Amino acid sequence: MLRYIIRRIILAIPILLAVFTLVFLVVRIIPGDPAQSALGDYASKEAVEALRERMGLNKPLLVQYFHFLGDLVRLDFGESLISGKPISEQVAYALPYTLELTLAAVIFGVLLGVPLGVFTALNRNNAIDYLGRVLSLAGLSVPAFYFGILLILIFAVELGWLPAVGGGDLVGEPFKSLKYLVLPAVTLGLIMTTSVTRLSRSAMLNVLSEDYVRTARAKGLAERVVLIKHALRAALLPIVSITGFWAASLIGDSVLTEFIFSRPGLGKMLVGAILQRDYTALQSVMVIYAAFVVAINLITDLTYGLLDPRISH
Amino acid sequence: MEQDINTLEQPIVRLRSQRERLWHTFSRNRTALLGLIMVIVIVLVATFADDWFVAVFQGRDAQHLLAPFDPAKQDTRSRLQPPDEAHRMGLDTYGRDVTSRIIYGTRVSLLVGILSVALGGAIGTFLGLIAGYAGGKVEDWIMRSVDVLMAFPSLIMGLMVLAVLGPGMSKMIIAIGIMCSPAFVRVVHSSTLSVKENDFVLAARSIGVGKFRTVRVHILPNILGEVVVLASIYTATAIRVEANLSFIGLGVAPPTPAWGTMIRDGTQYLTTAPWISIFPGLAILITVLAFNLLGDGMRDIIDPKSYT
Amino acid sequence: MLSRRTVFLLLAMAALLTLLAAQCGATPTPERIVEKVVETVVVEKEVAGETVTVIETVEVEVVKEVEKEVVVTATPEPVEEPLILRLGQNSADLSSLDPHFATTTEARALVDMIFNGLLRYKPGDGAFENMEPDLAEALPEMEMVGDQQVWTFKLRQGVMCHPAGNLAAYELTSEDVVYSLEKAATTERSAYAGEYTGMSFEAVDDYTVKVTLDAPLSPVLFYPKVANYSGGFIVCKQGVEALGDDKFKTHPVGTGPFMFESYSPQEKIMLKANPDYFRGAPKIDGIEYRYMADISSREAGLLAGELDVIYGIPDILWVEKMQGEEGVAVDVFGVGEVATVHFNTSVPPLDNPEVRKALAYAMDRDEFLALFGEPVAENVYSPVPSKFLAGGLTQEEAEDLGLAYDVDRELAKQMLADAGYADGFSLEVVTSEMTGYRRIYENMQAQLAEVGVDLKVNVVDHSTMHSQIREDVNPIVVYIAWRPNADVYLTRFFHSDSIVVTGAKPDTNFSHIDVIDDVIESARVATSAEEQIALWKDAQITILEDMYAYPLQFQQQVYARSDKVDYGHDLVSVLALYPGITENTTLER
Repeated sequence: MLRYIIRRIILAIPILLAVFTLVFLVVRIIPGDPAQSALGDYASKEAVEALRERMGLNKPLLVQYFHFLGDLVRLDFGESLISGKPISEQVAYALPYTLELTLAAVIFGVLLGVPLGVFTALNRNNAIDYLGRVLSLAGLSVPAFYFGILLILIFAVELGWLPAVGGGDLVGEPFKSLKYLVLPAVTLGLIMTTSVTRLSRSAMLNVLSEDYVRTARAKGLAERVVLIKHALRAALLPIVSITGFWAASLIGDSVLTEFIFSRPGLGKMLVGAILQRDYTALQSVMVIYAAFVVAINLITDLTYGLLDPRISH
Repeated sequence: MEQDINTLEQPIVRLRSQRERLWHTFSRNRTALLGLIMVIVIVLVATFADDWFVAVFQGRDAQHLLAPFDPAKQDTRSRLQPPDEAHRMGLDTYGRDVTSRIIYGTRVSLLVGILSVALGGAIGTFLGLIAGYAGGKVEDWIMRSVDVLMAFPSLIMGLMVLAVLGPGMSKMIIAIGIMCSPAFVRVVHSSTLSVKENDFVLAARSIGVGKFRTVRVHILPNILGEVVVLASIYTATAIRVEANLSFIGLGVAPPTPAWGTMIRDGTQYLTTAPWISIFPGLAILITVLAFNLLGDGMRDIIDPKSYT
Repeated sequence: MLSRRTVFLLLAMAALLTLLAAQCGATPTPERIVEKVVETVVVEKEVAGETVTVIETVEVEVVKEVEKEVVVTATPEPVEEPLILRLGQNSADLSSLDPHFATTTEARALVDMIFNGLLRYKPGDGAFENMEPDLAEALPEMEMVGDQQVWTFKLRQGVMCHPAGNLAAYELTSEDVVYSLEKAATTERSAYAGEYTGMSFEAVDDYTVKVTLDAPLSPVLFYPKVANYSGGFIVCKQGVEALGDDKFKTHPVGTGPFMFESYSPQEKIMLKANPDYFRGAPKIDGIEYRYMADISSREAGLLAGELDVIYGIPDILWVEKMQGEEGVAVDVFGVGEVATVHFNTSVPPLDNPEVRKALAYAMDRDEFLALFGEPVAENVYSPVPSKFLAGGLTQEEAEDLGLAYDVDRELAKQMLADAGYADGFSLEVVTSEMTGYRRIYENMQAQLAEVGVDLKVNVVDHSTMHSQIREDVNPIVVYIAWRPNADVYLTRFFHSDSIVVTGAKPDTNFSHIDVIDDVIESARVATSAEEQIALWKDAQITILEDMYAYPLQFQQQVYARSDKVDYGHDLVSVLALYPGITENTTLER
């Protein structure tokens, strides 16, 4: 097992390299460049050229590539081409917001999804089951930008209960900033609820047909005890182990959520970097991002292996 | 792991009876049935938005049929008019009829949703089969490439692919297709790994059935169910992604109406003129829900205990 | 494998976090605490006022006094929250706070609050006629020395540069001014270097600066170069040298009413009041400048009381709706960014002037105007907007000359038929996804379809559009821009040197016009204002006669604010494209 993990970590290095190379090339293929977007519509070709030169974009591609790669190997993410700020600083600032949002969304998804899944499983194939499933699927089907904006309108503008935008001061006043988290977490968590409901339902159905549950029932234990002590506990196991997989996909979905709620997270940084053609920021953030996804995928694969011994590593 | 694993898989069932059995279960699964009915209605709306099927033979431009007005007809002087008798869902920022644009918009959503998944599903299944069956270096290469693609958030990937390919509906289909394919590779890969260890596959191999034939006859039919389920769910996702990209501003070329673009125009006017975004939002919700219901129901039929 | 303990630990954490979230929802917000402070004040006043006989009157008076009280006690009371004006800007992030690289709307507004020029446009009034001294004591004296023109500025004394890190505040002198202007003139250190060629700067003594021009300029063209706009902003030498050019982009050091405090990428910039500002300390304590590219969030923020000023939607319907909201005021003001339709005369069929004129006649200004509504947008009849700048053609002048090109689609069709395009033709363009551009292109598509011209419109992101139109991809280019005077408009859009790709200094001449170079150049050096204006008008008449470009409309700035905000000046036009926040701006809480 340990050898497998080490092998996977070594294998992750080419993946990160590939992500870096891909992003490096793609941003240079697409029209528009950081000098142009930094200077805006007012810029003359002359000014743009001068800035390109200063940004080092006129050097041969290979030189730029190895320059950035060299920095990256030393874990130096360089500076934003647009603002000149160190990228590591920006990431250190943005990352907690994204992690906080993803974690909160996962928690929301689990807290809403597990009971809904268990409930629908217990009422399998009757009206409650169908209603619960349609509702949870509707949660997955509503576009995040649409739902997020509706939430803002209702809870921030009409009722004034929660702040509409921003991330609060996460480092300075972490508890006060939590109220900034509620609406985005609900928006993002709703996507997750569907999967959790589905999984909890299947897990519950699986467990309920297991011998030991039948035995427990046959012994004449109260239904409540059977459910909570035997069934639910066993069903939670797969739920928890697969939660990581969703966390990975939620980080991806968080991009749009952060955009809508103006949260200063990684996703907003990515969108900004791509729109402003901030090559260094985009390259570095994507690699950091990919490292996360790779790590989570590794954990998922490991848990899959544990769940189904037929898949050998 | 405490759960014990079935040691023997079910025997190979003849395809025809399997199909009959499937339909029987399907028609009794209300989620799937509801989804199917909704999908059929949506497809009908898309088809009969105008009379193209007559116009093609008569060699003239198609005229709107289900849609009450020409969806591209602008009247800037009466833009953002609230819903009334003539315009049931009001007028948009250019003074175009929202009802007609939603009806025509069905086409973009369905085309992009279905074609991109067909593309991504075909590529993904093909690669997944190869990776799962061939193993070794090939498997490593394919799965690591998938890992690379999966490292990109869908929105960022869409933005980048569209920026490289340029705008347009076909480019959008390719972009979303590429985005979907890793999921198919992963699922098909792991199913192939499972199926390939089964006795009937091992038996076929041992009596000298060729690799290609083994995959086609013994493996593919056994994983097709999962692929179809995934395709249905990913159609829902693809429609959502199309809406997201349109919402960011990179949708199909105007004047072709797309729901995401309509909402984008509408978000500015959520409090001034909510009708221009609320109705397309509902349209997306209903369409995506239809495919999700269908997929979820089918998954229930094929493997009621699946975890994914 | 996760152990059972881990599972329960996770669940417990989840429960805890939910509780905390609920808890935080219930804690009173700081505003409410402030209110409580105010309430105690009320009680005291009531005690003091009880001697008055009529009780009802007392209560009314008390309420009024409380409102005043809030403003007065804001500064001395340490308990009070500082008065921070929160502004929501339509931008994802900062581009540059070095004023010589600040070219975007978002950055122009910020540097306007942090820096001064030698001269300035009056707050809220961007008219050249009303320009006044800023860091200079008076408008400059001009004398001719041989062929050279020399302008002499006397500097104000006692103007302090903001402190920055270890660098203490110090007095700004001619050394800083010369350093700043030289920086603005250096290509590597400024985006505006091109505008300072042929100029040299000299510090005569601590408070005197001489600017020498190889070619004389009229004040209309010279003043903007040394005003609080673009390269004219004066940076503090020691600040730049202490930080270095790159760091300076995120840590500006100037002399203005507000000074840089902090920058949180993608989120906000904090400015604090400069207590030593030479016009007096600002009446607010600072500014929170938030990056919020989504209008719904900005609007929600303003309505929820989390923001005080927001960049709005350039649409009269939005303006009217927001004006109807309680406690909200909307300002529509200049300068108007001019949308002009440039025809690429180097590609068929647009190389035929008759075809271009036909397209002009096919377009209906009023229909475009209805997309935004007056006064958010207004029609223009020449590339230089006559409402804001000398040298533009008014509607009457254009009509008298027969160059207004009022819509006439029958005539357009006839002209197209005469040119051999009875069945129309098709063109393909790219547009930015940004509403201002996309709306014009999409409406143009519908309008041109009326005369049989099929305009294919591809939507790309803003950066892509800017780079593609500069590669001559579009046969029709819509460009929306503000330029400080007629010379800059004409030089950058209509001088042959500026022709995209092939020009000597490729810039934004999208029409490939090359026949008015000498008119533009002689206007630049004309010393009499009448002569200069006449030449500028001549140049534009040529542009219109052969329809190189179709002037469409200008779009004004739309900002909404809480009615508790008073900018401290009337709003006519601001070159920095925001309402202008100065030492006189006030805010009530």
